[in-house]
Order: sequence, then structure tokens, then C-alpha cells
Amino acid sequence: MLESLVSLESMSLSSMDVSVLERLKWLQQQQQQQQQQQQQQVLSSTNASPELLQFHGTNNDELLQNTFSHFQMLRSGFGPNYSMGFGPSHEPMDGCISRTNSCQMDQADTVGVMLKNSEENIAFSLKSKRKSEVKTRAEEKTEKKIKVEAETESNMKVKSNLSNTEASSETSKQTSKGASEIQKLDYIHVRARRGQATDRHSLAERARREKISKKMKYLQDLVPGCNKVTGRAGMLDEIINYVQSLQRQVEFLSMKLAVLNPELELAMEDLSVKQFQAYFTNLPVLVASKPSLMVDAPLFPLDQQGSLDLSVINPNQATSIEAPSASWETQSQSLYNTSSLGFQY
Amino acid sequence: MERQMINKKKRVFSFEPTKLPPSEVFTRKYISHLVPALKKLNMGKSSPQINQLTVKREVDKALALSAQEFAWSRFLLQKLSSSNNPTTTTSSSSIQTQILERSNDEDGEIEEKLKELQKLLPGGEEMNVEEILTEIGNYIKCLELQTSALKSIVQDAT
Repeated sequence: MLESLVSLESMSLSSMDVSVLERLKWLQQQQQQQQQQQQQQVLSSTNASPELLQFHGTNNDELLQNTFSHFQMLRSGFGPNYSMGFGPSHEPMDGCISRTNSCQMDQADTVGVMLKNSEENIAFSLKSKRKSEVKTRAEEKTEKKIKVEAETESNMKVKSNLSNTEASSETSKQTSKGASEIQKLDYIHVRARRGQATDRHSLAERARREKISKKMKYLQDLVPGCNKVTGRAGMLDEIINYVQSLQRQVEFLSMKLAVLNPELELAMEDLSVKQFQAYFTNLPVLVASKPSLMVDAPLFPLDQQGSLDLSVINPNQATSIEAPSASWETQSQSLYNTSSLGFQY
Repeated sequence: MERQMINKKKRVFSFEPTKLPPSEVFTRKYISHLVPALKKLNMGKSSPQINQLTVKREVDKALALSAQEFAWSRFLLQKLSSSNNPTTTTSSSSIQTQILERSNDEDGEIEEKLKELQKLLPGGEEMNVEEILTEIGNYIKCLELQTSALKSIVQDAT
């Protein structure tokens, strides 16, 4: 699982800094080893917190680097050892891990907070389970669920605006907010502007708001007539009206269909064939990448491109086609034009 | 916390909800589902009212079957199958908790509207705000396609 995670990360994060990528990997391994070994070496939080708090306000690169060195320091009792560079190779990190592992504090506040801090500033893409475990260990003081529950179906671009955001020193004091729920797969990159709050809650809020506004914009394009209305309430109104009108239309048409149903039977096959023909001639054809799922294959045989194999159908139906259908043909052609136009909103 | 757990169970809704199917694929599927069903209906004679209901249900079923990549289609199918067997569906926690959080920022109007939207969308009861907005997009698209398909069927018959 870790390998797949790592490979996924490396695939999708090719554009990222190497250091960030490795930070992610370190964090993943970190958490995995947390799970596996459940080290419980206790370090006094009083010792840990002021020193950890020192690292707040720095670039996260330095932050983690300092945490590495800090852990070593705590363990060995010596001064900070910065010789463990954050180089591109993995060995130093593994070395770090082996050391940090043993000094894994289940004093989870600080560690959990630190990890979460760096995680949320950087690694929005880590798997949920690991993170949730870290969180539970952190006694769930901060209940921020930014994108930690994400699945990895979509592309995961992680962009940390570290120069702008600073790890807030209030993380340890933050109380859990009631319920944030972001579980989407796409990410909105949030940049904290000058003068705006940079704590995690507001960042997450802002990210959420931007996501929602992006979706509203998309809906605006979809629903005709939304351009004139401004503001979310108005747009939502429009959307609601539109959906309602569409549903009513469908109902009405289905009622009509119910009435007409008996008459449709004979010409239905022929008509549907022509319908498809019209679609494929009038509309730009998008080749279906996968074979379409057809319920009645014999009725509507399709070749790879999705156009109908008319030669198969027509001979079978030649006998069943009656005279009225001839007039329907001409009618249907014109109607198909209108129906195809109906696709273009 | 409960909501969280519920969401954990139903984590994946739509696969790629923003990616819409090309119109022809949907329409083809739709017609291929609907037409045979209608023909089957024609076989058995039933009263007009029942006929209408069944046609409506077939229409909805065809819609749901043609758009199976979306979450609302699954909910729609559930609803349809449950309407065959009259069992009550339990509605889980509504949007209220989440929207309430936002009503501090914005008007309560928006909350109301979102609730309405939630009712319109099949399965909307169990989605949160962002999911609803996403799903509504592709629901609208599929409704439009369905409408045109039905229109063309009906018009050709008259």
C-alpha cells in the first residue's frame, strides 16, 4: 500500500519540489511506522513544545528539517545536528526515520500537531487512514478535516504557499470547529493574501468557498439565463427553476408518450434507427473510448465507432415497415434536425 | 461525528463527476433502454393511469440506467426499485448542519435554496453542499438530453 501511495505520489507530483515529495514520503513512512510499532517513548511536553514552537514561523522546509534534527536532539540530548541534510537521496531520511521513530512522542499534541501542521500545509494528498490515526493520537484537539480524507482518484497537485502561510502557534490551542466536510477530490489552491488570516481554519474555509464558487460558475454556464443574475441566491434560484422546468417537461412528455404508446410500436425501431443516423451526421462525433453498454444488441447493433450498422437492421425491418412510415421518414428528418439543435444550449 | 461516519461509508460518489458523457452516448443508451421497455409495456394492456405511471417510471429508469456513472443515478435506481417494493427509505442527515455553518456568512435564503435543490436532486438528501453542486451539473445535462430524446420520440409518433 505504501508503495502504491508512493508511486502515485511520484507520478502525480512530478512537477513538485523534490524536497516536498520526500517530505510526503517521509510523512507516510512516519505514519506507517507509527502504526506498526506504536512507540511510546515519552518526552516531556514542556521540553518539546517550546522548542517546537521555535520552529513556527519558518519555512516548512526548515520546519521539518528542524524537527528531524530536533528529534535527534531530544533523543541524544545533544545540540541540534544539522548534518542530516535534506538531500535528494533517501538515505538520510531513512536515517532520520530510524531515529525519530524511537523518539516518537505519543505526546501526541506536539507531534501530532506538528505533523498535522506540516501535513496540512503541504501534504493534502496523504491517505486518510494514516492521517486519521495521527489525529486520533493527537486527541483530536484540532478537528480540522481539510482534505485529509481524500481519495486518490483524481490528480493531486499539492501546492503549498509556504512563503505566505506560517504555521500558527495557536495550533495547539485551536478548538475543534463543528464539522467541516470537505471530501472532494479536486483541490483548490489557496493562497493567503496579505493581511488575511492564515490559520488552518480560515485557509480551509477559503478553499471551500473557492471550490463552491468554481462550481457555481460552472453551473452558470450550464443553465441558460444565469449570466444576468448575480449573487449566489439568484443563481441558485435560476438553477432551481431550470431543474424544475426540465423535470416538468420530462413528466409532460412521458405522459404524452403514455398516451401515444400503442401507436409507436410499429415504427419505433425504424425511427430510432433514423434518429441515431441524424445524431451522428449532425453532431460532432466523439468516439466512445469504451464499448457502449447496449441492452438490446440485436436491435441496435453498433460498430466500434458507435454508428449504427444500418445494413443489418434494414433488411430485417423491410417487411415490417408499412406505408405510413414513409411519410414519417420525411417528417422525422426535419424533426431530427430540431432535436439535434436541442442539444446545443 | 455521525455525519462523518456516514460519509466515510459512502465516500465515493461519482467517479469523475465533472466529466460529462458525450451526448450521443447518453442518448443512445437512453433510447436503447426506453424503447424496448415501452414495447414491453405495450404488450400488456393496462388502464391509462397505471400506464402513465409505468411509463413515467420507465422513463426515469432509462435515465438512471443511461447515466450510471453519476451518483444521483444510483439513488434514482434505488428509489425506483423501492417503489416497486414499498419499503420506506430512511433519509440520513440532511444538509442542515452544514448549511447552518454557512448561514453565519450568508443569508438564510441560500440555505433554503440549497435545501430545495437538495429535494430536487435524487439522492440530494445524502450529499453535502459541494457534492450537490457538482451532481446538479451533470443531472441538468442528462435531463436536457432526456428531454430532447423524449421530444423526438413523441414528435415522430404524432
